[in-house]
Amino acid sequence: MKKIIALALALVMALSLVACGGGGEETKAPEGDKTIKVAAIETAYGSQVWADVAAAFETETGIKVELTTDKNLEDVLSGPMQNGEYPDVVHLALGRPAGLTEQLIKANQLHDLTNMLATTIPGESTTPAEKIIPGFTATSATNPYGDGKTYMAPMFYSPCGLFYNAKLFESKGWAVPTTWDEMWALGDLAAAEGIALFTYPTAGYYDAFMYALMNAIGGPEFFNAITNYEEGAWDSENGQTLLSILDKLATYTHKDTPAQANNQDFTKNQQMPMDGRALFMPNGTWITGEMADYAATLGDTFAWGMTAVPGAGNAPCSFCWIEQAWIPAQAEHIAEAEQFVAFLYSDKAAEIFAAAGAAQPITGIADGMEGEQKMFYSIYDNGATSALGGFAAFAEIPGVDTSNTFFAPIDSLVSGTMTIAEYADLVKTNSALMRENLLG
Amino acid sequence: MKSNLKRRAFVFACVAPAVILFTIFMVVPTFNVFRLSLFQRSTFNPEETFIGLQNFEMLMKDAAFIRSMQNMLLLIVMVTIFTMGTALLFAGILTREKLKGQNFFRIVFYIPNILSVVVISGIFSAIYAPDDTGMLNSILGLFGGKNIAWKGEQHVMTSIVIAMVWQAIGYYMVMYMSSMAAVPESLYESAGLDGASRVAQFFQITIPLIWTNIRTTLTFFVISTINMAYLFVTAMTGGGPNRASNVALFYMYEQKNKSGYGYAMAIGVVIFLVSFGLSALVNKVTEREVLEY
Amino acid sequence: MKLKSEANSGERLYKIFIYVVLGLLAVLILVPVLWVVMASVKETVEHYGNPWALPTHLHWQNFVDAWNKADMGAYMGHSVLVTGLALVILLVVALPASYCLARFKFVGQKFFNTCFMAGLFINVNYIVVPIYLMLADGDKWLKNFLGNTFLLNNHVVVAIVYAATALPFTIYLLSSYFATLPHDFEEAAYIDGAGYWRTMLEIIFPMAKPSIITVVLFNFLSFWNEYIIVKTLVVDKDLWTLPAGLLNLMQAQQSAAEYGPMYAGLVLVMLPVLILYMCVQKNLTKGMTVGGLKG
Repeated sequence: MKKIIALALALVMALSLVACGGGGEETKAPEGDKTIKVAAIETAYGSQVWADVAAAFETETGIKVELTTDKNLEDVLSGPMQNGEYPDVVHLALGRPAGLTEQLIKANQLHDLTNMLATTIPGESTTPAEKIIPGFTATSATNPYGDGKTYMAPMFYSPCGLFYNAKLFESKGWAVPTTWDEMWALGDLAAAEGIALFTYPTAGYYDAFMYALMNAIGGPEFFNAITNYEEGAWDSENGQTLLSILDKLATYTHKDTPAQANNQDFTKNQQMPMDGRALFMPNGTWITGEMADYAATLGDTFAWGMTAVPGAGNAPCSFCWIEQAWIPAQAEHIAEAEQFVAFLYSDKAAEIFAAAGAAQPITGIADGMEGEQKMFYSIYDNGATSALGGFAAFAEIPGVDTSNTFFAPIDSLVSGTMTIAEYADLVKTNSALMRENLLG
Repeated sequence: MKSNLKRRAFVFACVAPAVILFTIFMVVPTFNVFRLSLFQRSTFNPEETFIGLQNFEMLMKDAAFIRSMQNMLLLIVMVTIFTMGTALLFAGILTREKLKGQNFFRIVFYIPNILSVVVISGIFSAIYAPDDTGMLNSILGLFGGKNIAWKGEQHVMTSIVIAMVWQAIGYYMVMYMSSMAAVPESLYESAGLDGASRVAQFFQITIPLIWTNIRTTLTFFVISTINMAYLFVTAMTGGGPNRASNVALFYMYEQKNKSGYGYAMAIGVVIFLVSFGLSALVNKVTEREVLEY
Repeated sequence: MKLKSEANSGERLYKIFIYVVLGLLAVLILVPVLWVVMASVKETVEHYGNPWALPTHLHWQNFVDAWNKADMGAYMGHSVLVTGLALVILLVVALPASYCLARFKFVGQKFFNTCFMAGLFINVNYIVVPIYLMLADGDKWLKNFLGNTFLLNNHVVVAIVYAATALPFTIYLLSSYFATLPHDFEEAAYIDGAGYWRTMLEIIFPMAKPSIITVVLFNFLSFWNEYIIVKTLVVDKDLWTLPAGLLNLMQAQQSAAEYGPMYAGLVLVMLPVLILYMCVQKNLTKGMTVGGLKG
């Protein structure tokens, strides 16, 4: 009995000690010793850049950085976040399958960064607003509620477009099409040689492609009409053009594509344009790093080419894939987090990022690029218009989301299990629902 | 009196830990599945709002959910028929015939069952590649067959059935073999003298005598298949292409993040009721007089 | 005489047919498994070509890369820890409980037996979500009172959840064995003056060894291969187990594909169970008649 009492006493003491310790830490922590948690998606640029930038930030401000990077960052983050443990800064992108950023937008859980853009960058005398290329903080990619307030800082951007094997075009003497009419003509030529015109990694890659296509058909007005779910947008003349191109493109798509359009096999779809089984695939500039091993095995028969989505009534267009940095509204150290986001636009950080091939929308950043990268980023100099943003945010509708409404059915169009009329019905019905639930 | 007290203390000490663990990690969560299905609770906001049966009303109108249930039922039926049928047949052959290498076959057939579904999905990714590099297609090609898009929309469910049967067959075969081994040889001998063929012996002696075992396996196979279908779909297809291989449990996990916990748990409740109902049904339908030997 | 030889040749044809069918099935199972082993020693670039091509050389570097760069070494450690701990907890809890439930008459015995039987119908994968919410709420509470959280991201908790959710199956299997034992064993022990504990630990449990081995094997397989629970309850990726980490590696997009280390990882997951299975396959199949169902 004595033993038990002694044990119980010891336990109570231990618990109270822990409790006091926990409480004391928070009040005692000295100003200079703050630690912020930064979480960044690891893409083709690798994770070392983030470690380097974090180190530079630490020396500049004395604020410590606890860094997490992962290829499937959502898997790592969403658990703790649902549990109330928010990182202070997150670097991620809209339009990823897990849709973490989108969920936080819907839940109004992002911190307003408008003021941050006007503060001076640590160690410099300029502000992020002065450095960012105009226009990059004016679309739904950064201002999700369309109220002029920026909730996501525009980070790495890369032009998306149609990727192809430049060497194949050279050897066949084919010209890269700039209109859809030329595209179909080329498709027939290629078909005669057993080559499909088109393929895609997964249906999710249709987002950037379709955004650009909307612009190439009816310019920004049409793009905004569709992405804001405006009534009658799909029934308009432009809407009909969009549907007919999607329909026709499905018949020109390599028939094996849907069977490999899943997380496990998508790499095989990405090989198709490389070894001449299909001509074009929609993708982003990260593809060169992603498929570097395979490209090396192809030797002289292969070199990357990239072109904008051909025009159909408007100029060709290239969607600008953009990754964003944001601060969760429930972050513990908002002030320090703002400093960190501002620091991302410092000369030092930009230099580190650029060295790894990651381009921020900072004026003059693309000037120092070489080789493939230079070709990719010069796409807008060659007459293509650019598009930013995406589908507008709407409140949770059980069972309905943008990726399964607009993009996933492409698999069925290509397989021939869905007609374009059925697709049109689906997007119209769901657009109406989304319109009713629009946020902001 | 004292001994009775000791006995009680002993039983209590033995049973209590199991009951406590079982209550905390199985009873309470199961109760919560049902409770949460009546609430709205979004992913990033722990506030719970009571909304009655609204989640279920929305579910009934959700085409994606209905498709995922159909897929689940399809898998339950197909995988059960093929697994059980083949397992019984091979078990019958291996126990009745005096074959060389019986042990070898038994060991080999069991291997898929011990592999992680992650490993199996990796294997089948290579088997199912739609072009000439696919194992299955390169074999078909030898016989002049055309390439098949195994994970394409038309064939994806068949492909999952094949993978699941491949995985499960050995387990049930080995199990039926051990229960068939208990059937006395004399029964077969007298039947043989009466001129009963192998097939007749199988259906008139073997099957009735191990019926209890078959019945138990069938009853629980429903639940196991719901589970395995989810694991296979997660690893192999992610529910695609365009939700063609979506199954109910997979949809539940997807909606947990997209439509909140309440909606997801409503899906959980439907799966629970369907699986329980199916098990009960199978149990009822397979009711026979128990034969003794 | 003629009739008999005809019957014999029919018999032989039948036998040959059976061998062919069995052999085919064995090939269908062995070839893919061996193929993975072969793929694990190919270089990443070789995976882009003909799947049947033999490796140009044995590229063991894949295993080194998987172990170090892809963190498979750490994952393996977690797998061993979680699986081992879960098995110990499960046995310590389930053995005495099954014994009492099967052989003692007490108030509520029938009720508990029915409860555990009903537990067989509960699908672990949909109660994982409420379990997660329960632990997350618990962590929030702990944070307020202790300033520290330890329910999520904890291998011990995962092991407890594994053990708890395996209880119905394990208790069902063990008590059906204990129920078959005659009561003479205990009576003899009591007459010799042994208490309840000693009788259980020294007389009954050693007799149940084959059943215990079966239980350990089945649960080892299900714990070792599990990835849904661990991915839900362990939100810190660095603490995942082997199958969860491997799935993550297989499905990473927008970053370089690494087939070599991936297949090496598959072999790393597969190897321990294969070796264990080869060692104990006799016991495994022996114990199966008891069950008829699967955890």
